Amino acid sequence: MADDLLFMMGKYEARIPSDRLYSKNHLWLKPAGDLYQVGFTAYSVRLLKDVYFLGWSVDPSTTVRYQQEIGEVESSKAISSLYAPFDGRVVDFNPRVLDDPSVINTDGYGQGWLYTFESAEQPLTPAEYIKLLEGTWDATQRMLKGQVNEDL
Amino acid sequence: MAGKKLTVVISQHQGKNPTKRKLEEDLAVACMLNPALDVSIVPNLYDLSHDHTGTLFLKHVPGNVVVLAWLYPRAIHWVLDRAGIKGKEGTVLLKSEDDEPEDDVEDGAKAEVLGALQVPDRRIYSIDLKCATDPQQFLNEINRIVSESNERTVDLMDWIQGAPNSDQLARYLNPQPVAEPVAASVADDENTIRRRWYPVIDYSRCTNCMECIDFCLFGVYGVDALDRILVETQDNCKKGCPACSRVCPANAIVFPHHKTPEIAGANGEVTSLKIDLSKLFGAPDAMELAARERDIELVRDGRDAVGITAGMTKRQSKSKERDQLDDLLDGLDSLDL
Repeated sequence: MADDLLFMMGKYEARIPSDRLYSKNHLWLKPAGDLYQVGFTAYSVRLLKDVYFLGWSVDPSTTVRYQQEIGEVESSKAISSLYAPFDGRVVDFNPRVLDDPSVINTDGYGQGWLYTFESAEQPLTPAEYIKLLEGTWDATQRMLKGQVNEDL
Repeated sequence: MAGKKLTVVISQHQGKNPTKRKLEEDLAVACMLNPALDVSIVPNLYDLSHDHTGTLFLKHVPGNVVVLAWLYPRAIHWVLDRAGIKGKEGTVLLKSEDDEPEDDVEDGAKAEVLGALQVPDRRIYSIDLKCATDPQQFLNEINRIVSESNERTVDLMDWIQGAPNSDQLARYLNPQPVAEPVAASVADDENTIRRRWYPVIDYSRCTNCMECIDFCLFGVYGVDALDRILVETQDNCKKGCPACSRVCPANAIVFPHHKTPEIAGANGEVTSLKIDLSKLFGAPDAMELAARERDIELVRDGRDAVGITAGMTKRQSKSKERDQLDDLLDGLDSLDL
């Protein structure tokens, strides 16, 4: 297995494991049988900081469209709605993160997965995801600094 | 002169929530016992039709008025304005936490907004009943406004050197034309109240750019004799649809009962202490969302969906200054993955 990739967010190293795939909206999708296990990338978690609350607005086994709102997250630094990464079906939610969302911070690529997802679409490879991060990092920083007058 | 009473109007919540009703009633009783106040209760302001006795009553209230409603102050002010109940914005110090004061806008930047027409020289103090649970907080604020109103009275008399001419005196004592007397308390009367849904224009922000009239395909908007944009046919609006509010570049369109505070008339960013990562996590942009919402309503009406282009060409072709989100989103799209 190839080495994990790294993306530098300032001085912070966001680790992008090479054993899984990615979406434009900063989720990882790890093939598990016919499904994907989906979670926040280290990039997402770094922007969120400590996750306090996670909630889903759709039921398990809901067919969703790309960009459909499916839930929300609140953390010490941010608040956000959550959106489907692709057209597909949200199969089931990880009960453990609903119970204690801090697992997202302690084990975001493992126990902190969010939900299982079924989709026929082709997610990004780790290299493609890194390329997306590189291409948008400046604009993302400007966008974030426009919202808060402090460095991340 | 200081004996002139201040009118307090309590606008009821749409629902029958007992906690909200109790707050309304506690306030009404406390105000009735205060000799400096005239108090009235009306049904939810937003739902009042133009010929409802509540509207007629409000139109005939002379002088300063305090309006308490379950709406953001901006929503209260512009709902009243649309109904022809006009006045200058009175300063209210009691505000809800999520209703941040607006950033100071320079006079130059404000010069291009429409502003309200024919505003009489009296003040309307709009207070959001959501911003506290203890009636005493509202009563304290009302008492503060009473003393402020009295001070203004003295100032005005000073300004005309205590010797008003008869016209000035008439205007001062009776700033709004008074017609036949109307019942003071008109809640729960024979006028049945139907819940309504329509946009309210904040003319302190509106620049008359006409994006909304181009975008809405249901004939809600029109223009008046001076070519000012106007919510002409309020009840053509589609219940729950806030799409035109999203296309308004000035955030001047308020849907007072929408769940998103900025659309319902809150000032500033609701999540001002936290960053909003929704764009990064895949939120569709406001134009896409607005077009989707409009399409849903078109299809419900048996018409064809029109997608994102209809009525939005002007904005897209306009060389508007790009913001950071434009760059970010274009950055995502241009990757061609």
